[in-house]
Amino acid sequence: MKRVLETGNAAITEGAIAAGCRVFAGYPITPATEIAENMSRRLPQVGGYYLQAEDELAAMHIAVGSSLGGLKAMTATSGPGFILYADPYGWALGSEIPVVVVNAQRVGPVSGITGAPGQGEFYFSRYPTQGGNFETIVLAPASVQEALNLTVEAFYLAERFRMPVTLLADQLVTDGWESLSVPETPDDVAAMGLRVLPRRIHSGPEFYPASDEIDVPPVVLGHNTGAACSDWTPTEQGYDTEEVEAQHKHAYRLIYKVRNHRDLLRRYEAYYLDDNPEVVLVSYGSPARVAKSAVKRARERGLKVGGIRLIGLWPFPEELFTLPAKYLSVELNNDGQLVREVQRAVPKGSAVHFFGKCGELPTVAELQRMIDALLSGEPLPANRWEWEAW
Amino acid sequence: MDPLAEKYLRPRKIPSTACSGCGLGQIHKKIVMAIDELGLGIEDVVWGTGIGCAGRQTFGAWKGDNFAGTHGRVYAISTGLRVALPRDKKIVLTVGDGDAFGIGLLHVLHCARRNLDVTVIVCDNLGYQSTGGQYGWTTPEGYKTDSSPYGMNEPNWVQGGRDVLGILREAGATFLARHTSLEGREAVEDIKKAIQNRGFSLVHMPFPCITNFAGRALGTRKPVEVYRWFKEHTDGNVPGKPGDALFKCGVYFDASNSRVEYSELVRNNVAEVQRRYR
Ligand code: SF4
Repeated sequence: MKRVLETGNAAITEGAIAAGCRVFAGYPITPATEIAENMSRRLPQVGGYYLQAEDELAAMHIAVGSSLGGLKAMTATSGPGFILYADPYGWALGSEIPVVVVNAQRVGPVSGITGAPGQGEFYFSRYPTQGGNFETIVLAPASVQEALNLTVEAFYLAERFRMPVTLLADQLVTDGWESLSVPETPDDVAAMGLRVLPRRIHSGPEFYPASDEIDVPPVVLGHNTGAACSDWTPTEQGYDTEEVEAQHKHAYRLIYKVRNHRDLLRRYEAYYLDDNPEVVLVSYGSPARVAKSAVKRARERGLKVGGIRLIGLWPFPEELFTLPAKYLSVELNNDGQLVREVQRAVPKGSAVHFFGKCGELPTVAELQRMIDALLSGEPLPANRWEWEAW
Repeated sequence: MDPLAEKYLRPRKIPSTACSGCGLGQIHKKIVMAIDELGLGIEDVVWGTGIGCAGRQTFGAWKGDNFAGTHGRVYAISTGLRVALPRDKKIVLTVGDGDAFGIGLLHVLHCARRNLDVTVIVCDNLGYQSTGGQYGWTTPEGYKTDSSPYGMNEPNWVQGGRDVLGILREAGATFLARHTSLEGREAVEDIKKAIQNRGFSLVHMPFPCITNFAGRALGTRKPVEVYRWFKEHTDGNVPGKPGDALFKCGVYFDASNSRVEYSELVRNNVAEVQRRYR
């Protein structure tokens, strides 16, 4: 194991390599370009392939195609590229092809502000393609080390659940520098508590079982298994069908293989919740670190405030929200996305509020003002742009 | 059952669900003949398709491994697949004209540039027929379709001095040919050449769509008349009326095995990095 000072981009690269990723397909985009650059340097050293694509549509299709050929694969982008993944993402979901997708979120909509952090794809990562009839798995790192660890975990889950797994990061996590432990051997990987699952190959003929079971080997072409996988609704053998009953089976599988294994996907950090705090801050990614500092500061002042940092975003861990309290969702967007899920999840007697900023982190002082207002029942401080003259 | 079909295809797809008189089956059969004559077995070929009539009719028919990709993206999928698959596997793609020359053209061009080892058979029904018959990028100029009720009035990829195969040649494809589904031996021979090229091969195969294209553009659904129209507009290896040739047939460009194939290039590069940094 080696200790280095590195960026989240480098951490994701090393995590992927430790997880056995041997194909990276990408298209340059700020702030995820460095992942591609790091992959282009590191993959050949371990016998893997860096494939640069003509656009993001091609990038993710190449990654999924590589996985269909038996190699673990990843792609990485930011918002404007993530929307172009909608097409291959749906194909990988429906055909149950494991692949890891990184989105280093920046400010949107559209090209927005390229080199600044945002959290605009909370819901988009839940619905990254059209058509419905599926659940998604989304993990959100808040530090450089966690970016490495969750990348390894994303590959592990992608293999177990036979589906794409999204690592929803933000520009501060991917571009930020922090100290990082990099595993160099399988023993290191195990010592760090990380799990790696080698690729298995489905031998058929029932490539798409009508069940919620996980750990079903994925379809891999080129081994003469007679595999059939397509973009259409499949029969259990993988043939295209227009039968509604087959569609029900397929939808059941895509939805319930995730829903019925939520316990394997619940990841979060809860702090200061034991004494029934009056105010609970909810956040993920880099703003969650400011939220934690603000909660600690409030505790130092003797205030009953706690926090939840979500690590697994989807399926949304609504079961965490058992405490009636005043919740404050802290996010890097101005419209409020996570806050809507929190509203849906909280128990009776709760209130849910939102604090959003975009392109820059909230400050501890700003969050303290919010906490104080929530505790005293005073009106909440207005958002900055609401004070300005225009 | 046809012994070739029995050897290579799954019984569930025989007969296919294509409309009667449709030329798609003729293309499908020629590809299987070419594969057979090359001595390849079901384990040697991974068969991919897009959507539309070409995709629906050929997906899941091959006894070996099959995939159907998203519309226009099978070329990108095949780029990843090619790198991951054992070197000796052949990838054969049966796609439509909308798939290859419309929505997926950018990816086709990049695969030609890469000289990716795939054989693309463009099953061209002269427009978007599985959606009911709208004009496409090879619909003959002036002909009526459901979305060109006054006649197809924009430039296409095959008339007016343009030929989509010329663009692909410039892009770096190493084998290019065109044959209608009505041609026999010469089409099979060129499909064989396409498969034997370790690089990007594309065979453009216009075929009669009886139900939609012919019904609207030619005003007839009688296969004999539609086939006659096809022959009259074919020029090249097949004896027919020269002149207003829509379908210029034969080998367009053959530089088979003249430059390194993409996955080999990528593998060589990786081996070189490993040699230098070991
Ligand atoms: S619509 Fe046309 S191309 Fe499609 S199956 Fe029918 S005849 Fe063939």
